[in-house]
Amino acid sequence: MNLTTALARLLIFPGLLFAVPAAWFFLWAERKAVALMQGRIGPPFMQPFYDFIKLLGKSTPPRGGIAGMLMKLWPLLAVSAAAGAVGLLPVLPSSGGFEGDLILLLALLELPSMCIIAAGFSSRSIFGEIGSAREAVLSVAYNVVFLLAIVSIAASQHTFRLEALAQLPASPLRWLGVIAILICLPAKLHINPFSLPNAEQEIYSGPMTEYAGPELAMWELSHGLEWVAATGLVATLAAPYIGIWWLAILVFLALSCLVVLLLSVVAAATARLAIDTTVRFYWQVTLIFAVLAVSSALFMRLRS
Amino acid sequence: MNILTMLWNNLRGGSRTMLFPARPKETKGFRGLVRFDPALCTGCAICKMRCTSRAIEFKTGKGIFTWSYDPGQCTFCGRCVEGCKTHALSQDAECPPVYTTIGELKQSYDVVRKPTPKPAAATTQAAAAAPAPAANPAPGGAQ
Repeated sequence: MNLTTALARLLIFPGLLFAVPAAWFFLWAERKAVALMQGRIGPPFMQPFYDFIKLLGKSTPPRGGIAGMLMKLWPLLAVSAAAGAVGLLPVLPSSGGFEGDLILLLALLELPSMCIIAAGFSSRSIFGEIGSAREAVLSVAYNVVFLLAIVSIAASQHTFRLEALAQLPASPLRWLGVIAILICLPAKLHINPFSLPNAEQEIYSGPMTEYAGPELAMWELSHGLEWVAATGLVATLAAPYIGIWWLAILVFLALSCLVVLLLSVVAAATARLAIDTTVRFYWQVTLIFAVLAVSSALFMRLRS
Repeated sequence: MNILTMLWNNLRGGSRTMLFPARPKETKGFRGLVRFDPALCTGCAICKMRCTSRAIEFKTGKGIFTWSYDPGQCTFCGRCVEGCKTHALSQDAECPPVYTTIGELKQSYDVVRKPTPKPAAATTQAAAAAPAPAANPAPGGAQ
């Protein structure tokens, strides 16, 4: 991948120019779907965009010192990381990529979560600190499964290159890995039943409690971009290889929307779990599943 | 999987949210607008004292008093109705109408104060009504 391709992917497609409207659309789609399933009307189509513009126009309380600077830095870092993760997705056929870009994608997907943890502690709010602690525990719980799922996919297909993974025909092990990733997505995107870090009824918005104005707008945007990146990763791994670029984009969008709908159904159908139940769920139930996937992948690799 | 059936039914049935001017039907015993009957009011102002939301105002003048009520400020707790000994206040099941400016729904009543019996006359009447004191009080009664 040369510099021009990298910039085009980061800034145009599937990067910022596509990802920002897609982020707003996914945020709206999730809220609307949950509302309809709960017998409510839900927000209008443009609501996430209006929220973003309105927040940009507000002023933030002055915060001095290092903590104030850090509080400004975290949301920007989260947005950049999430946008970079979206930019790495191999949506278009033969769009480039490099060996190991899957690992970079994982790192970039993890960065917003770390920023959230740091932001909660920087804000020095008790609710922020509780939210950050919960996010940290949750992150440790689901990431083991998430990483094992990715490793099992990469090991079964002998590559860490996203484009190569997208082009190879899917094996049964890859489907196991995709299902494991899907189980981790509600925790990664902070939706029910794993919406612990931003449990509104208990700790207001958790790490976001002290945020307002443009900084909160950036957090909202980074959350939307995380939706695009996470659902896009599943869509990339689940989609069959298609040589025609417009059809590839359509299939990518359709699969991403399907994942959003699936997550919305999960969010609407479940209530928030306590932290100990969540950790037990990931360590006891899904970990066995992920270890099975990895061991099968390694076994198959040794045999071949 | 009962929850999935519920979600599906909700999805099929559409939203149950009512759009703005529409209101749900009032239930039995619903505490709505406070009604005032000037003919029964004695101007004791207990209702004003009991009103925690300051929806009731009371101004006194010479021989007249003004009682006013702002449904926009009222919480419909019903304490004024409870405290009104002459039953000049009552509560309907009706909701306040939609309004756009503060104080638009405020109603004021100028009530002429009813002549009350003078204290002297009142004491005479009370003395006449009271039983006559006993001529021979019981022994040990006044020492």
